[in-house]
Amino acid sequence: MDSPVPVVQIENLSYAYGRAEAVHDLSITVRPGRCYGLFGRNGAGKTTTMKCLLNLLRPQRGQVRIFGLEPAKHEVEVKRSLSYVPDQVAFYPWMSVRETLDYLASFRANWNRKDERELLDRFGLDATQRTGSLSKGQRTQVALVAAVCPETDLLVLDEPTSGLDPIVRREFIEAVIGAYQQGIPGHRTILVSTHLITEFEGLIDEFTIIDRGREVLTLDADKARERYQKIRARFAEPPPEIDLTAALRVRREGRELELVVNGGGAELMERLRQHNPQTLSTESLTLEEIFVATLKVG
Amino acid sequence: MLLQINFKSGLPIYLQIVEQVKAAAASGAIKPGEALPSIRSLAEELRVNRNTVAKAYSELESQGVIETLPGRGCILKENQSTLRKEVRRKLLAEEIDQAIVQAHHLQVPRDEFLKLIHERLDALDGKRRAHEGPKED
Repeated sequence: MDSPVPVVQIENLSYAYGRAEAVHDLSITVRPGRCYGLFGRNGAGKTTTMKCLLNLLRPQRGQVRIFGLEPAKHEVEVKRSLSYVPDQVAFYPWMSVRETLDYLASFRANWNRKDERELLDRFGLDATQRTGSLSKGQRTQVALVAAVCPETDLLVLDEPTSGLDPIVRREFIEAVIGAYQQGIPGHRTILVSTHLITEFEGLIDEFTIIDRGREVLTLDADKARERYQKIRARFAEPPPEIDLTAALRVRREGRELELVVNGGGAELMERLRQHNPQTLSTESLTLEEIFVATLKVG
Repeated sequence: MLLQINFKSGLPIYLQIVEQVKAAAASGAIKPGEALPSIRSLAEELRVNRNTVAKAYSELESQGVIETLPGRGCILKENQSTLRKEVRRKLLAEEIDQAIVQAHHLQVPRDEFLKLIHERLDALDGKRRAHEGPKED
């Protein structure tokens, strides 16, 4: 396979606020057409990373590139090629939804009116309402409309759904899939930072977990669910000594055993089977469970 | 045809869609000539990446299960595999071997295993009849 220019390339990025290091030696590559998740707890360095990408902060070490360009040197080209939904959405409160969208559209070369109408309808937004009187969820919806309509090749979402109710969160994700992901396959790339992983599970192709500014794990989502498994076994007697060093985590409760593994699940199942368990089952960890398991061990 | 994604199954999402469409076709939940949901609507409904649904559909197309007709979308084809008979038998044999290994570990003896296969085939026939039932006689 050829390797096209990555949409986002972060190389050895470090950033500190005074002496407090927020991001340390972080490297991430997002290929075209992918939906990439940046997962981390509050304060893990997700927003700092996003701000370096958007040229809101200057990287102190390392490099970031968007479509091969440095945001600091090619600010206009980079901004033209992406749209962004921040975690804190702020509009001019005296403007109506209509005026706000027109104002934002005036900075864009392209604006899809049909998408705009459909999304306003879908979210049940009143275009005449002043943005100052919108709820947090509605403000995020307007920000998403403004991010989808320019039809950019990169959509950056920074904690887009935190603080929103479950219905709004679902609608948000459905709109990203339905409205943003249309067009030529492989040409719409999404980078989303979040700690609300469950909702994005089906959307994420690949992810990086960061903790205290450092990369902990980068994996393809399908591969991650294949590798990280929870194995449960129940024996007739309390289980004998079995070599479980391959497991990430072991819980014992009388005759029961619960293991979390990162790869090697099949071999471990085989070893347990030799002790004739009454029941033996396995299931994959969801991305959120992988997130928790990874950060607890590390 | 209602699909359900299970993130705990360990199976890639696109393969879950492929297998469920094939199961729906085998049970008559979707019939030859009928259209599958569009990529966009299925992706939204399952809340999965559109590329994942597209990948599942192209896999189904390459396996000869569905075809894309301009203006009509993805249509379930008549059940006619393009593969030669020996190849089809070999592919099925591999799947059966896995079930046999599993039967061994679960201590299900030969007779019971064969009986179970009959039961499962009957169950699928029953489902297929149920789907055909409400149609005109």
